[in-house]
Amino acid sequence: MPLKILVTAKRVEDPESKIKVKPDGTGIVTDGVNYKMNPFDEIAVEEALRLKEKHGGEVVVASIGADKSMTEIRAALAMGADRGILVKHDGPLDPFVVSAILDKLFEKEKPDLVLLGKQSIDDDQNQVGQYLAERRGLGQATFASKTESLESEAEQKKQPGVVLAADGKSLRVVREVDGGLVTVDVSLPAIVTCDLRLNKPRFASLPGIMKAKKKPVEEIVAASLGVDLAPKVAVKKLSEPPKRQGGLKVADVPELYAKLKGEAKVL
Amino acid sequence: MANPLVDDRGLSFVLYDVLGAADLARLPHFADHGRETFDAWIDLCRRFSRDVLYPAYRPLDEDPPVLVGGAVKVHPLLREIWPRMCELGVIAASRPFEVGGQQIPATIALAANLYLMAGNCAAYGFAGLTSGAAHLVEAFGSPALRERWLAPLHEGRFAGTMALTEPQAGSSLSDVRTRATPSDDHFLLSGSKIFISGGDQDITENVVHMVLARIDGAPPGTKGVSLFLVPKLRLAEDGGFEGNDVSVPGLVHKIGWRGLPSVILALGESGDCRGWLVGEPGRGLAHMFQMMNEARIMVGANGVATASVAYLESIAYAKDRPQGRSVTDRNPLSPQVPIVEHADVRRMLLRQKAIVEGGLALVLQAALQADLAAHAPTPEKRRRAQLLLDLLTPVAKSFPAEKGFESNALAIQIHGGYGYSSEYLPETWLRDQKLNSIHEGTTGIQGMDLLGRKVMADGGGALSILGEEVASACARAARAGVDPLWIEALGRATADVGALTMELAGRGMGGDVDAMLLHSSDYLELFSTVVVAWLWLLQAAAAKEALAEARGHPDMLQGKLAAAAYWLRFELPRIGPLVATCREGEDSYARVRPEWF
Repeated sequence: MPLKILVTAKRVEDPESKIKVKPDGTGIVTDGVNYKMNPFDEIAVEEALRLKEKHGGEVVVASIGADKSMTEIRAALAMGADRGILVKHDGPLDPFVVSAILDKLFEKEKPDLVLLGKQSIDDDQNQVGQYLAERRGLGQATFASKTESLESEAEQKKQPGVVLAADGKSLRVVREVDGGLVTVDVSLPAIVTCDLRLNKPRFASLPGIMKAKKKPVEEIVAASLGVDLAPKVAVKKLSEPPKRQGGLKVADVPELYAKLKGEAKVL
Repeated sequence: MANPLVDDRGLSFVLYDVLGAADLARLPHFADHGRETFDAWIDLCRRFSRDVLYPAYRPLDEDPPVLVGGAVKVHPLLREIWPRMCELGVIAASRPFEVGGQQIPATIALAANLYLMAGNCAAYGFAGLTSGAAHLVEAFGSPALRERWLAPLHEGRFAGTMALTEPQAGSSLSDVRTRATPSDDHFLLSGSKIFISGGDQDITENVVHMVLARIDGAPPGTKGVSLFLVPKLRLAEDGGFEGNDVSVPGLVHKIGWRGLPSVILALGESGDCRGWLVGEPGRGLAHMFQMMNEARIMVGANGVATASVAYLESIAYAKDRPQGRSVTDRNPLSPQVPIVEHADVRRMLLRQKAIVEGGLALVLQAALQADLAAHAPTPEKRRRAQLLLDLLTPVAKSFPAEKGFESNALAIQIHGGYGYSSEYLPETWLRDQKLNSIHEGTTGIQGMDLLGRKVMADGGGALSILGEEVASACARAARAGVDPLWIEALGRATADVGALTMELAGRGMGGDVDAMLLHSSDYLELFSTVVVAWLWLLQAAAAKEALAEARGHPDMLQGKLAAAAYWLRFELPRIGPLVATCREGEDSYARVRPEWF
């Protein structure tokens, strides 16, 4: 059964860049910072492409942000997604608002499946997928992973880790949870968020980049969606974690014990 | 943070701010492209190299290929890497759409390839060689040859090689002896080749050798040499493949590029090695030379890439390694400072920077001229670019190799005792770098090519075009507010080189070619220093422009100005004595007799 899949591609700071907090704590210094697609979203795009390769269908990639987020949409299109939607919005967003926008896109696109990264690596909130499922009243499977390793043959053959049931009505998803893996079935349409060990995303290709240029990308102004764009979460201040103090040598176990109990108070 | 291989911001600065490469998309041939596809392609190669190629660099160096039962086995990691690198579209990136390429400018392809070369020159080497072989088939092959061989080469199902060198014919290719005897629609080849990079491996279905050989009865010398396509496996009657009597009697053990096998090839030991003529008989060397600019710029790019990765490694080390204190700090209990705090370490870093980023601008400028020579809108502009490209090629080939080797040695020096140990990577890059001054025409040959051919071309026309480029760079620098001392220094040096060239040309035209070419290597060195000074002045101008408009990263721009100052004020004046010695015709090495050694 062909699947229509909506997948997200958020523009985030490249973790390889050096991130510095502005002196006044209102944000980070963006000068000289590189950007890329959220790595968890990249895993979601890969999974969407594998599902499409296996079952047919369409992969629609969405990003929310300033015009520059087009780069991330094109990156997903270059990997093989079919078309894009850029919801244009300058200014702060929070997971609640993002899920409201995705809710509108869901209404418009009516996908069988929404695949998202489990979280974005900038704010690490891990809420959008869950909010979206709640808004739509749909089943959710978060932290999708798989039992095979990323070195396995199935992974080499680019098999999807998320398995569509024979009747095409549900998905079997292996979830990564504290202490191990748990397998759940979720009825379609469904919301699935992707964890790190679900797959190794493919690289795009130059032919893919050239094809991506010609693929349609719809631009929607966020304000036109009829969604309250005011974030519910206000960021008061950013600060860097305290500098790590150097370690120290202790003479013997009793001294170690005394320090752990008396000073560190961990015992 | 892992080694970034090439400085992203610096590369973008040279490409777009200094050279204006985004304008290439305005040429009709590149109309399907734009800054967006240029950047996407560079970014893709960057990520691939950082994630896939670079982690395999040390393993490939440590376990070179082996010969087992007459077949070469390369490092098993290459079986994984090769198909992925091919899937990116590296091999045919700059070839036209009609042959299955993506028609990306050579300038952008080179910028992207720098990451692949810096991450793992040996692994990239297979792709570079395959591109080169495919380009020969595309340019000179018959429709039947193109039909059969081009697609599998572009897809990387087959790999290509350049099988030119023979034991007695290395730099002197007109001495090749491999024979080609006509037989039906093909030729039967017999002979042996040496130092054939990628000459055999176990990562592709087939290997396609581009072989120089002499057709029976061909005249001696250059005019008797033809080019043949000789596959490892040929198409059998039943549609499958069969052996083509190409064997590998030995492997060359190398000090660098150790992941890429260099083999001895025996052709036609059983009298059954078939080859197909590519292009016209007797034009083999001419056809090869038509590709020579491209091949030599690629060698230069490898030189830049190999120096770049080592430079970036030494920056990270110098900022991290505490050792010693400021000379004014007498307190033995104060914490040690990172070695980058010592002026002499910064001297070494700045020299590396000047070489690496000067070389980067050089190879990109050469590639830009190659794009313009092929695709500029008017015949006059194409001709001008071609002359400049021809002139710059020996410099772009040799400067990164020669000065890059110095830069790689500085990377070891900065690492101190650790740099001398094989636990650290700088020594591997030094070994890799050495090849670049040897293959595709040694530095000595580049010197003779520059002085004997290139500066004399078009009645000195090429040199005047360079003069115009220097003048326009000086004007741009003056407008941008670059220190007049730097501009004057370049103007003076350019005039000195012009005068020296006239004088040497006079000796040649007076019939004394030996006297003219006596100092060709010295000439190449001083000429290269001036060319790189021109490119540093351009970078200084672009940096000043960006600072004035509050564009770009201020630290990067200040770094550019510091390196420009170093090259124009420290390095450029050093050519003075060299120019004087060349003019004087100092002849110690002409006079010295073999028995005196």
